[in-house]
Amino acid sequence: MKILIVEDEPKAGNYLSQGLREAGFAVDLVTNGIDGLHHGLEGDHDLVILDVMLPGMDGWQVLRNLRSHGRQMPVLFLTARDQVEDRVKGLELGADDYLVKPFSFAELLARVRTVLRRGRSGLEPTSMKVADLELDLLRRRVTRSGKRIDLTAKEFGLLELLMRRHGEVLPRSLIASQVWDVNFDSDTNVIEVAMRRLRAKVDDAFEPRLIQTVRGMGYVLEAPEHTH
Amino acid sequence: MFGQLSLTARLTALYTLVSACVLVGLGFLVSYAVIRHFVELDTDYLKDKIDLVRTIVGDSRSPTIAMTRLDELLTSHRGLLVELRNNAEKVYGEKGSVLSTLPSSIGADGRTFDWRVGDQSLRGLRAALRPPASWPGQAADRAPLELLIALDTAHHTHFMQSLRRTLALYLIGAILISGLLGWWAARRGLEPLRVIRERTMTVTAQKLDQRMPVEAVPVEFADLAQGLNDMLGRLQADFSRLQEFSGDLAHELRTPINNLLTQTQVSLAQKRDVSVYQDILASNAEELQRLARMVSDMLFLAKTEHGIELPNRETVSLIDEVRDLFEFYEALAEEKQIVMEADGNAHIVCDRLMIRRAISNLLSNAIRYSPPNGPVRVSVTQGDGQIQLCVHNAGPAIPAADLPRLFDRFYRAEKSRSYPDSEGTGLGLSIIRAIMEAHGGTASVASNDQMTTFCLCFSTWALTSMA
Repeated sequence: MKILIVEDEPKAGNYLSQGLREAGFAVDLVTNGIDGLHHGLEGDHDLVILDVMLPGMDGWQVLRNLRSHGRQMPVLFLTARDQVEDRVKGLELGADDYLVKPFSFAELLARVRTVLRRGRSGLEPTSMKVADLELDLLRRRVTRSGKRIDLTAKEFGLLELLMRRHGEVLPRSLIASQVWDVNFDSDTNVIEVAMRRLRAKVDDAFEPRLIQTVRGMGYVLEAPEHTH
Repeated sequence: MFGQLSLTARLTALYTLVSACVLVGLGFLVSYAVIRHFVELDTDYLKDKIDLVRTIVGDSRSPTIAMTRLDELLTSHRGLLVELRNNAEKVYGEKGSVLSTLPSSIGADGRTFDWRVGDQSLRGLRAALRPPASWPGQAADRAPLELLIALDTAHHTHFMQSLRRTLALYLIGAILISGLLGWWAARRGLEPLRVIRERTMTVTAQKLDQRMPVEAVPVEFADLAQGLNDMLGRLQADFSRLQEFSGDLAHELRTPINNLLTQTQVSLAQKRDVSVYQDILASNAEELQRLARMVSDMLFLAKTEHGIELPNRETVSLIDEVRDLFEFYEALAEEKQIVMEADGNAHIVCDRLMIRRAISNLLSNAIRYSPPNGPVRVSVTQGDGQIQLCVHNAGPAIPAADLPRLFDRFYRAEKSRSYPDSEGTGLGLSIIRAIMEAHGGTASVASNDQMTTFCLCFSTWALTSMA
């Protein structure tokens, strides 16, 4: 997976490319719109992360040019301004997502993976399995080591999200938005509590523990052999 | 163009115009009266002289004596002309007198008449005169003599000319003076405006306590001054709130930034284990996330308070939103063994995301301050032109003094009520208020020993106008 980052702020650009590289992506970083367009047209990137305010040529123009040259790779906008019109403009021009600074890196990573996954999903799996934890989507049943675990509807949704994206660190905001449709920050530790309760049912009586807290980032569900 | 003319100039012009009209009218009236008066005087004079001529002719024994006496009369009355005619034939009169050329048709009706010959102006009167029987050739059946008498009115003309000149001069002078007086009066009358203007010049952001002198200005301006004072009052209140707010903001940002800085520098001071670094970075990330949340809350507030157009409008069932959010807060409530319940319902047209956020803030607030086992109840009521969504929670009373300021940014009622988990940004209630104002509604709070109630109140009128 190859990602092109067009970001003129050097510190932000470097951290983004480092973070994405460490997450297993190949990354090209350029610092102005003209280079960005050039790389976007010449290269074979699977995704472009585009800052709106750029020297030379702004993000809107880069995107418009890419699309008019038939480049259809997903584009994720970064901006310091959160205006509804900007959002609409970006989406109209064919941007795939939109992140307002300051954003957490976990959030960006989750969005990048969502955008890349979009469009190439084959058949929806009817069941998922991580280690000895199994989730049956049709019968909405969860078992671990063959034992049935009773979950509430939202707990099931939460576990489904974690398993669907196992191995990825999911930030709290993404969890709140995907599971509860709460698209704003709550000033409570409600996600922690919900996660604690889910763990009590899924992890506490079993070995190994599958749901991990990544401090300052979010939560991840993964089998221990994936941990380093 | 007239709209740009100063009020003083306008008043002066009007004042001058009015006094000019009045004075010119008066001038015409005076000259007309004088002329009338002259006509009356002349008529009396001429009639008087006709009587005199009659007496002279009647007393004279012969025409010759009469002629002589008439000559004497004429020498003592300058400007008087007399002519006697007998059957249109002149029997007495100065030679070449202008009277001789007078056509017999003029003045035949026995009233005074005016005519001009050359540069001479004359006023005359006709009368019939019967000569005494003692005169030779005088018979009873003979036609009476015709008497023509006239007066040279040159002196009237002179008088009128000089009167008119005097009047004109007086008028011009009077109009100028009244214009000047009008200007002065207008200026003086508008003086309070200048005072108000000078006072407004002294108002700056630092000196918003300036007020207009309401008692010192006339009633007409008192309303204006009062209006300005009210405006200044509102501005002052808003401005001081804004100042307080930016102070608070700096303070709110300083504490976490200071923590981050200290922690980072202390940890850089010497080599540590990787796990220690991880710990520090994680703690920094948490603090930074809180800062980021504060900034995004601030931006949300700034946008919402700027009176935005609601981006999305849809019909929303309030109770459905409440129940959705109950699911979100379920885990948190169960931890504190709080039972959440809801009743009633209403549909409103609103921005769903915003209203959800407002209700969510109310619920998180209620759960945070509710004692363990205490209920959190949501009621939706409709009626009286408004829709109310109230969130009730048990718990100690919020001091009455804190209630009005509870929705202010960063306002925390008391230290004990401050966020124990330090998750909050202190903007939750302000965001509720801003969202409600964007929907034409209000947010309110009431609190007593048993129960604290926050209400969102939508006016159905405002909602229909939005839909």
